Amino acid sequence: MRVLHIKTQGKLFRALSVVAALSVSLASCKKNAVQTLPQRSWELTWSDEFTGPAGALPDAAKWSFDIGASGWGNSELQYYTNRPSNAALDGDGNLVITARQESFEGAGFTSARINTKGNFSQSYGRFEARIKTPYGPGIWPAFWLLGDNIDVTPWPQCGEIDIMEQKGQEPYINHGSVHGPGYSGGGSITKAYALSNGRFDEDYHVYAIEWGEGYIDYFVDNFLFQRITPDAVTGEWVYDHPFYIILNVAVGGNYVGFPTSGTPFPQSMYVDYVKVYKQK
Amino acid sequence: MRNISLIRITACILIVFGLLFFGGCKKRDITGLRDVAYPTTGEVFIDDFTGDLAYSAFGGSDVKAFQVDKQETYASSSASMRFAVPDANSPQGSYAGGVFYSKTGRNLSGYNALSFYIKATQAATIGSIGFGNDLGESKYLVTLNAVAVNSNWKKVIIPIPDASKLTAEKGLMYYSAGPENDRGYTFWIDEVKFEKIADLAHLTGIIFNGQNNTIAKAETGDKITINGLMATVNLPSGINETVNISPYYFTFLSSSTGVAGVAENGLISIVDAGTATITAKLGSETAAGSLSITSTGAPIMPAEAAPAPTRDAANVISLYSNAYTNVPVDTWNTHWQFSTTENFFVTVSGDDIIRYRSLNFVGIEFKNPPVNASSMQVFHIDMWTPDATEAPNNFKILLVDFGANGVFGGGDDSQHEIEVTSPVLATKKWVGIDIPLSSFTGLTNKAHLAQLVLSGSVPNVYLDNVYFYKNPTNPPTGAPVPSTPAENVLSVFSDSYTNISGTDFNPNWGQSTVVTQTPVGGNNALYYAAFNYQGVQLGSSQDVSSYAYLHLDYYSANASQLRIFLISPGPVETPYTLNVPTSGWNSVDIPLSAFSPVALNSIIQLKFDGGTGVDVYLDNIYFWKIPPVPPVAAPTPAYPAADVISIFSDAYTNVAGSDFNPNWGQATVTTQTPVAGNNTLLYSGLNYQGLQLGSNQDVSGKTYLHIDYYTANSTSLKVFLISPGPVETSYTLGVPTTNGWNSVDIPLTAFAPVALNSIFQFKFEGNGNIYIDNILFR
Repeated sequence: MRVLHIKTQGKLFRALSVVAALSVSLASCKKNAVQTLPQRSWELTWSDEFTGPAGALPDAAKWSFDIGASGWGNSELQYYTNRPSNAALDGDGNLVITARQESFEGAGFTSARINTKGNFSQSYGRFEARIKTPYGPGIWPAFWLLGDNIDVTPWPQCGEIDIMEQKGQEPYINHGSVHGPGYSGGGSITKAYALSNGRFDEDYHVYAIEWGEGYIDYFVDNFLFQRITPDAVTGEWVYDHPFYIILNVAVGGNYVGFPTSGTPFPQSMYVDYVKVYKQK
Repeated sequence: MRNISLIRITACILIVFGLLFFGGCKKRDITGLRDVAYPTTGEVFIDDFTGDLAYSAFGGSDVKAFQVDKQETYASSSASMRFAVPDANSPQGSYAGGVFYSKTGRNLSGYNALSFYIKATQAATIGSIGFGNDLGESKYLVTLNAVAVNSNWKKVIIPIPDASKLTAEKGLMYYSAGPENDRGYTFWIDEVKFEKIADLAHLTGIIFNGQNNTIAKAETGDKITINGLMATVNLPSGINETVNISPYYFTFLSSSTGVAGVAENGLISIVDAGTATITAKLGSETAAGSLSITSTGAPIMPAEAAPAPTRDAANVISLYSNAYTNVPVDTWNTHWQFSTTENFFVTVSGDDIIRYRSLNFVGIEFKNPPVNASSMQVFHIDMWTPDATEAPNNFKILLVDFGANGVFGGGDDSQHEIEVTSPVLATKKWVGIDIPLSSFTGLTNKAHLAQLVLSGSVPNVYLDNVYFYKNPTNPPTGAPVPSTPAENVLSVFSDSYTNISGTDFNPNWGQSTVVTQTPVGGNNALYYAAFNYQGVQLGSSQDVSSYAYLHLDYYSANASQLRIFLISPGPVETPYTLNVPTSGWNSVDIPLSAFSPVALNSIIQLKFDGGTGVDVYLDNIYFWKIPPVPPVAAPTPAYPAADVISIFSDAYTNVAGSDFNPNWGQATVTTQTPVAGNNTLLYSGLNYQGLQLGSNQDVSGKTYLHIDYYTANSTSLKVFLISPGPVETSYTLGVPTTNGWNSVDIPLTAFAPVALNSIFQFKFEGNGNIYIDNILFR
């Protein structure tokens, strides 16, 4: 069992309860700021390091494929497949989800979307993934969670926590969001975190949330850029039950817009690992 | 508003100041000058020219296309660059284009892109905008092609592929823009600067357009230029942009420098046989694209020059030869579609030679002007190939005449292809190919020849001395000197024999022919000029019934028909057709039976006809025969006795006990008869005849079977060796023996599978009377 200790000391943030002040400060500090965060001790509960031979599909005991081209509620353009050309291990310890421009079953693009529904879900804890994101207009990579009661309690009542979402035409901006009843889709509670001197797609970054009773903290490379609490949401707080994990690369859709002739294809999202912890 | 001349004046003033400044620095250590730091200024044009910026318009462009504009500017700045693209065919210039350069250079290594804002009066596509053009070598050129602009300001970013190269760059920006649909327009550029843009990512070098190419048949000495050099960068908007870049940004790598080296300018040189893969790095990243080369090493070339032509230039139209003045040839390789042929001009022993490689077909064109080969007779080409040439390999020669209109098509073209095969084709030796133009039967015109097309199954070909020629109307050499013994000859006209006396070589039969006797190569010949027909009146009636042949040497480069007649009283005359034109002296031996029913015991005249005013040369007109009995003995063999196993010879000790006339049921009458004192075997009325050796002979240590034989009347003769079994193999002997005794040395290998260690019989088959002597193994 691995235990991750995050110890950070500093001056800026003395009390985690002062959420409003924290958010305002972050807006101006960005990357160069020094943060003081509370010490939390974590115990690993679930992970996938994506070790395996190149070309292998992700571990079926952990991941299921969403397949098809329904638009997934967002008018997305891709057809999600379970072919290795869209999702496979690269042999170097990464899962590679690749969006391709190709005609497939009536769609103009293919990609992949995998989830742990039925295999793993958890309420609270730290959910993190180390990811090198794809880029280009209309490319929409995401690392996110859905409430595992979705089949009986439809979206958005089941809740959605978006740990990482990016728009390929703004490869230097990351978004963290929640969608719930009364604040879903375009009305989600969301915050953007931008790099002032570089782009997310040039290297791996660790995207994480630390989620407990009454708060969800969003991190990029262990930098806290957003805390969402029941006070911040404009509807019911629906984040006290287990959620499962989703990784996908969408092409087009309401959120990101359409790809252009200048969008480079294929586009791959490299996932080094996904790890989930419980607080000790 | 400022115009270009003011800018130039300003630049000149700056230079003057610069010179003054350096003039005051005489005391500085001269070595210190090496480390002059170039300014790192990134600004090129913000609201004015920055630093020592100067402008120079491209040749052929409208030199006033660029002006500084204070009206239309980006973000209300004080000035912008205005470019007025002229209309097509504008007298001031057909396009707008020029270079903005720093005279001293700048250190741009801290930046990663040139950026600017651009707008135009209309939507348009600007041909090229870039940097690195320094009006000189332009070593670090980067070009963004087809820049789309419209009437809104937009930012353009041109990435620097490897900024570490730009430590002293003079070429800060250049552009080239043509009219849209032949109409000019105006565009503006503002806020031009080199900058460090954090959100440029994924810079990727590209060679060979990103393809992994293969060259399977390279050779030592080949030079291959790496093309398709580009760099792709992902802009802050997530969109990829590709620019063309110079080779000097790359580091080229060869996996085997002993096979292929590559210079920093992207030129690959093949230096030896083997395989090598050429790749490149842009900065530290491997570029997309590669070239895999397989080299066969040095090409196989002829060791010596093609034989030098000897024909008189007056009779030649040459396309390619060092020996002649060549007519204009437009190209030796038209590179028609699907042609894989490469051509090289090489030198062997000082002789210029055309080399074709990977020849499947190649067009050779000489249509400016076409070649008039109407008066020519033969197409000549010297060819050398290292490739296999035996059947079914071939080499095809196609000649195309463009007809009176002198251009391809138009319904008046004609052509014909000749296929050349072994043994004319040969491997690794020069072969001279001479094809009479009359053989190109489909080539109905020869006055506007414009194409030569070579093809076939020999991919490596060296060619030289490609020309058309005609044979000279006068023979360049004398006729061959006859060797038939005088006692067997009745001569009408020859320097070699005593001729029939009193012959009139120019009887007046109404002919237009002008007859002279003229020396050719020191040999007197009979020359018929303006020949239509011509008689020969013999000095007396001749009985030639004891002779077998009429011999004649003749030469005519321009006759199209020629016949010879023998005439006996009556007159009874019979023609015999001679092949014309000739490419040299032709020698014929016409069996007198061909002149039947002429009375051979009473020949009074000869006649030639068929002429149309042409030139005919004649020599060595004589009747001849082979005497039925050899006039001399067979030549005495000179081989050392120790080397010989002799069966029948006066010169050696023969195998004892041989039976020269065993009774095998033959009709042949066999005798031994002295010829000039030399014992000779005579088979009269041969059908077949055996020879039983006195003992089995092991001749496996010998190389040849030697036989001397003589026959005036045989038309078939074979000799057999026989070993027990019997195993027998025949060898055909040439008959009759027109030049006296024939001496043959037959390789014993010709008698396989006869057991050479156990020869016990000979056999002869054929007809006529045969004299045989000196049967021996040696």
